[in-house]
Amino acid sequence: VTELLSRARALLRLVAANRPRVVGINRRNLTLVYPNNPRHQYPFADDKLLAKRCFDAAGVPSPETLAVCEGLFAVPGVVDRLRGKGQFVVKPANGSGGAGILVVGDWDPEKEVWRRAGGRVLTPLQLQRHLGDVIFGVHSNQLEDQAFVERRVVPHAFFSTLWGDGLCDIRVITLRTAPVMSMIRVPTAESGGRANLHQGGLGIAIDLATGRTTRAVHHGRAVEIHPESGAPLVDLQVPRWGEVLQVARRAAGSVPLGYLGIDVVLDVERGPLVLEINARPGLEIQNINAAGLGDAIAGAVRA
Amino acid sequence: MTVSHSAKVGAALAVLITSSLGLMAWKVRNLGYSLVDVLPVTQYEVTYSLGFDGHGDDVRVRSFLPSSDARQTITEEHDLSSGLHLTQVMDGANRVATWQGSEVPDGAQIQHAFKVLPHRLAYTLPADLPVPDVYPPSAAPFLRPEKEIQVDAPEIGETLRRIGADRGTVLDRLRRIFDLTHGLKGRPFKGTTDALTALRLGEASCNGKSRLFVALARAGGIPARLVGGLIMERGTKRTSHQWVEAWVAGHWVPFCPTNGHFGELPERYLTLYYGDETLFRHTNEINFTYAFETRTALVPSPKAKASFTVLDVWGLFDRLGLPFTLLRTILMLPIGALVVVLFRNVVGMPTFGTFLPALLAAAAGSTGAGWGLIAVGIAVGSVALARWGIQRLELLHSPTLAILLAAVVFTLITTTFLAERIGVEPLTRVTLFPIAVLAICAERFYLSLTEHGGKAAGKELAGTLFVMLACHVVMNSLALQVLVIGFPEVIFLVIAADIYLGRWVGMRLSEYRRFRGLLFAEKAP
Repeated sequence: VTELLSRARALLRLVAANRPRVVGINRRNLTLVYPNNPRHQYPFADDKLLAKRCFDAAGVPSPETLAVCEGLFAVPGVVDRLRGKGQFVVKPANGSGGAGILVVGDWDPEKEVWRRAGGRVLTPLQLQRHLGDVIFGVHSNQLEDQAFVERRVVPHAFFSTLWGDGLCDIRVITLRTAPVMSMIRVPTAESGGRANLHQGGLGIAIDLATGRTTRAVHHGRAVEIHPESGAPLVDLQVPRWGEVLQVARRAAGSVPLGYLGIDVVLDVERGPLVLEINARPGLEIQNINAAGLGDAIAGAVRA
Repeated sequence: MTVSHSAKVGAALAVLITSSLGLMAWKVRNLGYSLVDVLPVTQYEVTYSLGFDGHGDDVRVRSFLPSSDARQTITEEHDLSSGLHLTQVMDGANRVATWQGSEVPDGAQIQHAFKVLPHRLAYTLPADLPVPDVYPPSAAPFLRPEKEIQVDAPEIGETLRRIGADRGTVLDRLRRIFDLTHGLKGRPFKGTTDALTALRLGEASCNGKSRLFVALARAGGIPARLVGGLIMERGTKRTSHQWVEAWVAGHWVPFCPTNGHFGELPERYLTLYYGDETLFRHTNEINFTYAFETRTALVPSPKAKASFTVLDVWGLFDRLGLPFTLLRTILMLPIGALVVVLFRNVVGMPTFGTFLPALLAAAAGSTGAGWGLIAVGIAVGSVALARWGIQRLELLHSPTLAILLAAVVFTLITTTFLAERIGVEPLTRVTLFPIAVLAICAERFYLSLTEHGGKAAGKELAGTLFVMLACHVVMNSLALQVLVIGFPEVIFLVIAADIYLGRWVGMRLSEYRRFRGLLFAEKAP
């Protein structure tokens, strides 16, 4: 019994010693989000179109905007302009969790439809409907929203090797523009092509200084290879890492928000592009990196 | 990363806590508010359940009904008797009730119910009080012998001398008589035992022991009387009880030689009549049966209510004719919300919003937590079903919600309808559950279902129901309700707790699990 008790005490001491390194939701909100992200500035993160305007103004590269539907009146014109073009993505300005995002492939001039993943097709009428839904707020739980169309990113070979069917992104947490921690989010078939970790996506930790991947986690377990593609995940060098961090820093500096999760993708031609930013970035990145944000933030503030 | 405004927060906490505790202390010390009486008291509901066959003839049933006195408060008395007329007269201290009817059929019934709020009353007898030579006219008759209380019998006198109860102080004599009668063997004997028989047999039931006590006390010069009544216990019983009272310095002091209570009685003793009487007298040959049904409920102590004098919201609601349940629901909501905050921010349990679990608990206050759960289950189930049905129509958000509300209403009505058909009476009451709260619950469930998927929505629903139960337990605590009604400044303490939790950066319990890999890492992560 005494042995058990002393072991429990040692365990409690261990937890007490480790606790300051790990940031929980209460601490994130009170010490990181509230002081650095004034609530009225949230639209700069939540509204993707507004964020993109900031990026453009500051010269931060992001996927090219092909069209914006500000209202229902604009939908037929946008559909007409997209006829004959392919490889684009339709997004709601205020969607969350990937809802309402439509990835479109090549235009088939004979059948007058777009190809989509898995052999499906998209007719102009269906596209019109989807744009209408987005504008009516179906995917954003608002009374109305805006839809915009972006050129589809062609991922760098490094990322298409990890997983071919979806877009991997690099999440960089920044505190007042200083990168604090980062990871790669890789979709799986299970996650339905989305890179969200809680939907079955896979996270790879990146050493901030070198850009080498250090470990990978799937469903809370450390893994060495992608469970479906079999691609190795650990001890790889992320290409153009310096540029990725540079782009994340500049994106963070372009909006009046101080604590951000910046999602960067690596386009095969254009290099690092900022997809979107998040004013309440999740805490799972700590589990992926096997490191607490508390230490990382202290380090970032020193540096 | 220092927490800013910490001085402001500290000052706000200090002001709230000191003003709250200061107000409470002032009310208790200067206004006579009773803090101990916030604890609820047990109220008993006793029903005389009498049955008989009148054979179409005249029937008379006579019994005793309890009166309010220092030991018991009788309220909400009501009589349900089929075709019999109830008359009541006072006979000394006794309330005699007579039910009378002519052409009474077989299988007639009398149900007479009343509520009893007992008060504890214990006497400390002075050790040096001598037995007086003369008694006032009100007490003197209780020294005389009666048919079955043979004060003058030589054996009584001998016994008195043998146990030494013929000399000494009042306390000495009563103690010796009590010890003797209490020491007699018990006996589950139903009929009447007179004092001498009890003495000769050396064993008796309650009435024999009590008669012997009275006989010995009277022989020893202390006025004494039999008391008939009931030991109130939840359930149905047929046994009544008898104990005694002795006149000591102007007070009738109770003793129960059967169960060993000296100078005091437990709260459960209900006094019905005084003297050597029979509880029920009735017309012969009517197959008379009787039973006492007792139910209990916790109620706010009337003493607490009486002591609340300043800004008395309780009295205000009484004057406005608003129910006590509404008052306590309103005042307990901030406390319920604090419970939700604890579960969300300290435990890390997801719920539908901050108010909803507390509102659900408040709504379940009148129907009971179980029916609350069922009502929410029905609402959420109909939402899930309706969503599945109209999903393929791809409707806009607000019209979808309107349809879901219609589905909830329709399901509730159908449930009530079916419940009535199959005779599950309590289930018909799910419709009583406030539709506004159910509608909000349905909307939150739908949003969670569409935004986060079935698994997350189920988790949030389970969290909401669990926290609702926790809120129900806390918000339904009568002691807490009376405390908040008498001392509304307790809400300041609740706000102080909210402020503290609002600046609390500690890890949620669920996060110890989520980050266990980091927290239990041997080397520094």
